Amino acid sequence: MSTLQEQFVTEARELIRQAADDLIVLERDGASHERIDRVFRAFHTLKGSAGVVELPAMSITLHAAEDLLASVRQGALGSSPEIIDAALSCLDQVSRWVDDFEAAGSLPAQAGEDGRVLAQRLRSLLPAGAGQRQPGSAARKSAESVEAGLPEWAARLIAAEGDALASRMPKGASAVTAICYQPIAGCFYNGDDPLQLMRQVPDLLAFHIEPREAVAPLAEIDPYACNLRLTAICAGDRDEIAGIFRLVPDQVQITSIPRDALPATPPLANSADQALVRTVIEAQCDLLRVRDRTDDFAGCVGAAARVATNALRHADHPQLADMVQRVGALDLLQRDAGPLLTALEQVLVALVDARSTDVAEDVDGPGAVAASPTERTAERVLRVSEAKIEALVNLAGELVVAKNALTHSAKRVERDFGEHELAGSIRRDHDAIDRLVVELHGTILQLRMVPVAQVFRSFPRLVRDVSRKLDKNVELVTRGETAEADKTIVDRLFEPLVHLVRNALDHGIESPGQRRAAGKPETATISIEASRMGDRFLIEVTDDGRGIDPAVVRRKASEKRLLPADELTALTDEQVVDLVFAPGFSTAAEVSDISGRGIGMDVVRTVVEQIGGRVSLASRPGTGTTVRLDMPMTIAMSRIMVVEAGGQLFGISMDAVSETVRVTPERISRIKNNPGFVLRERIVPIVSLAELMKLPERASEAAAARLFVVTEASGRIAAFEIDAIRDRLDVVLKPMQGLLANARGYAGTTLLGDGKVLLVLDVKEILP
Amino acid sequence: MTVRRGDNGSIVLDGVCPVEDAEPLLQMLQTMPAAELDWRPCRQLHTAVLQLVLASGRAPIGPCGDAWIAQWLVPKLPQNGTGG
Repeated sequence: MSTLQEQFVTEARELIRQAADDLIVLERDGASHERIDRVFRAFHTLKGSAGVVELPAMSITLHAAEDLLASVRQGALGSSPEIIDAALSCLDQVSRWVDDFEAAGSLPAQAGEDGRVLAQRLRSLLPAGAGQRQPGSAARKSAESVEAGLPEWAARLIAAEGDALASRMPKGASAVTAICYQPIAGCFYNGDDPLQLMRQVPDLLAFHIEPREAVAPLAEIDPYACNLRLTAICAGDRDEIAGIFRLVPDQVQITSIPRDALPATPPLANSADQALVRTVIEAQCDLLRVRDRTDDFAGCVGAAARVATNALRHADHPQLADMVQRVGALDLLQRDAGPLLTALEQVLVALVDARSTDVAEDVDGPGAVAASPTERTAERVLRVSEAKIEALVNLAGELVVAKNALTHSAKRVERDFGEHELAGSIRRDHDAIDRLVVELHGTILQLRMVPVAQVFRSFPRLVRDVSRKLDKNVELVTRGETAEADKTIVDRLFEPLVHLVRNALDHGIESPGQRRAAGKPETATISIEASRMGDRFLIEVTDDGRGIDPAVVRRKASEKRLLPADELTALTDEQVVDLVFAPGFSTAAEVSDISGRGIGMDVVRTVVEQIGGRVSLASRPGTGTTVRLDMPMTIAMSRIMVVEAGGQLFGISMDAVSETVRVTPERISRIKNNPGFVLRERIVPIVSLAELMKLPERASEAAAARLFVVTEASGRIAAFEIDAIRDRLDVVLKPMQGLLANARGYAGTTLLGDGKVLLVLDVKEILP
Repeated sequence: MTVRRGDNGSIVLDGVCPVEDAEPLLQMLQTMPAAELDWRPCRQLHTAVLQLVLASGRAPIGPCGDAWIAQWLVPKLPQNGTGG
């Protein structure tokens, strides 16, 4: 796949997402001019890019959607749900095609037919007769007239502009296009600003404006009747120009101009000319440096700018000339010659290195022609492949480990050689490097931080589609879109959130009738809220539906035999409600195609726990349910506790550790055949880590207090008995690889400062 | 107001002049037939406003603050003698 194609895939996805968002908002908040414009531009750009990578099926479909949106924009059609549906399904199809294109480099065989059917469906929504008046047809028609010769208006404009045309021509321009735009008299009432369209024309070479019919005397003039003809010549491509004027196709003529119809490009300025231009500009600089000519300021600056501009045009530097002209105009306005002087000095520098400037202009030329106006105003973002950032993260991680080795060296220097002073110096160096490494690591991790907004974006669509299907009125509220978390986490959030929102829509939210009966507003609310709390990243999904009834859950759980009857009875209501996350649990009366397969909530817990988070649920029958996902913000770095048991070191993730305690033997008793102790009114079973790892247990003195790490995972609690706590470290956890890839009970490995490999336990898996 | 009377009796176009400015501008042009037009402070002119400037036949006091118009249109307009 070429770079162009890769870029197309990335940009197409962004445009699809943006257009879908805007369509949803359009439906919800009504059609503002600006919003339709945005949707329209997205479709238009998509269509253009599809043409560039030669996907005609995609172009045809998007073209039909574009025509439909044009009718909405012109007010010929209201934005009905049917139209939004059709536009969204067009985006869906395009999105699938983009996936196909990325995977196979081409569209599937039936794409042409699919595209045709979809285009037909889109066109069927057009008002009668509008289907025939396709925007762009005017452009096609006038293209044919090129063969017959240049239209009169174009010939006139070329004659009037003469050499100026050639001197403004960007290097490498492949096409020259002439535009004749005669806005209809009532165009101002349609919200049109014809000049505004002209301003968007890229690489303008000439522009002319004149009254279309004789101008009435001032006393009789109608200020809101447009009586103008705007003609222009530009170095853009005809299709691109047609795109700008596509909403006024009946008022514009766009014609490709053969190069031989233009005056010949003036011979490239020779070096003698260049030297002359330098001299001329230097003279203008000298003129501007004379400060006491305040009496004739305007004349002086105006003349300097004009002379310099003309000289630059003559020497074939149209961009520099335009720049000088603009600065000059600005200076006159602000009565300050400083900027013009600076600009001219810069021009002199640029002229010295004219060769490289030319190269730069060549590179910019065609690219600038191809870029659409929207892309120019878009925020400049550097795209970096994830793999490169990943490599940086790994390197920074290695650096953390390498830095830890310094502590070890300091210890050895002190212990083996008795060099206290040197050891101290190494420690200080370590501290300094440590600070930098932590900062570096943090900064690199910031690169991976993405706002959760990109995940939230899909939900307005989902809620809209599902609630329509279920005949429920639901409003989605999202808050905290700017909260950021590591990309790995944000990427994985989508699936659990989909399950939560679908569950809320399907099970939580009542039908409008039920809601009325319960005295609630008919329109239900689902909110998704992201927030940051210290180094945790929280997401709460709340609905104001019927809530979860513990009694129903209890009955279902016993029917499905999720738990032995006695255990089930012993659970509190809160613990019972938590059972909805148990594998195989579903409260839906019948399986729908939306949710209710009984797997959703299970997936939520599994995924969130995989990324080191926790899920909790709070529900009040009749009032609603809140599910809270509590996750770390980054997963690249984890904090572990290094413990010793049976003569070996192990790591335990601090996420799982709730506390470490020393317990005297008399507090330990046998509870259900298992030793345990009571901690804050909870029974904590004891697990010997050495025994679990099949290591020799250290004989302990009977009376001595024993050391435990109390861990909690998946709602279970246990105290691991250990011999000692060695360290607390921030480490980069590597997953188990090779032969050990399937070893259970380990979260991964990390390198210690002395080069030893530390096994980090997966507490959840080793809990009995 | 983006169309206003200047201190020296001129008609001043100031800032972004939208389509709504056409009406007041026309009134001023009609009631002040001798007033000069000053478009230095304007940033962007709507077509309807520009149309009236052109129809008035007056040479505005330049340079025009709307850089696009200054670049593409002004060189072809009758020049105002004061120049600034």
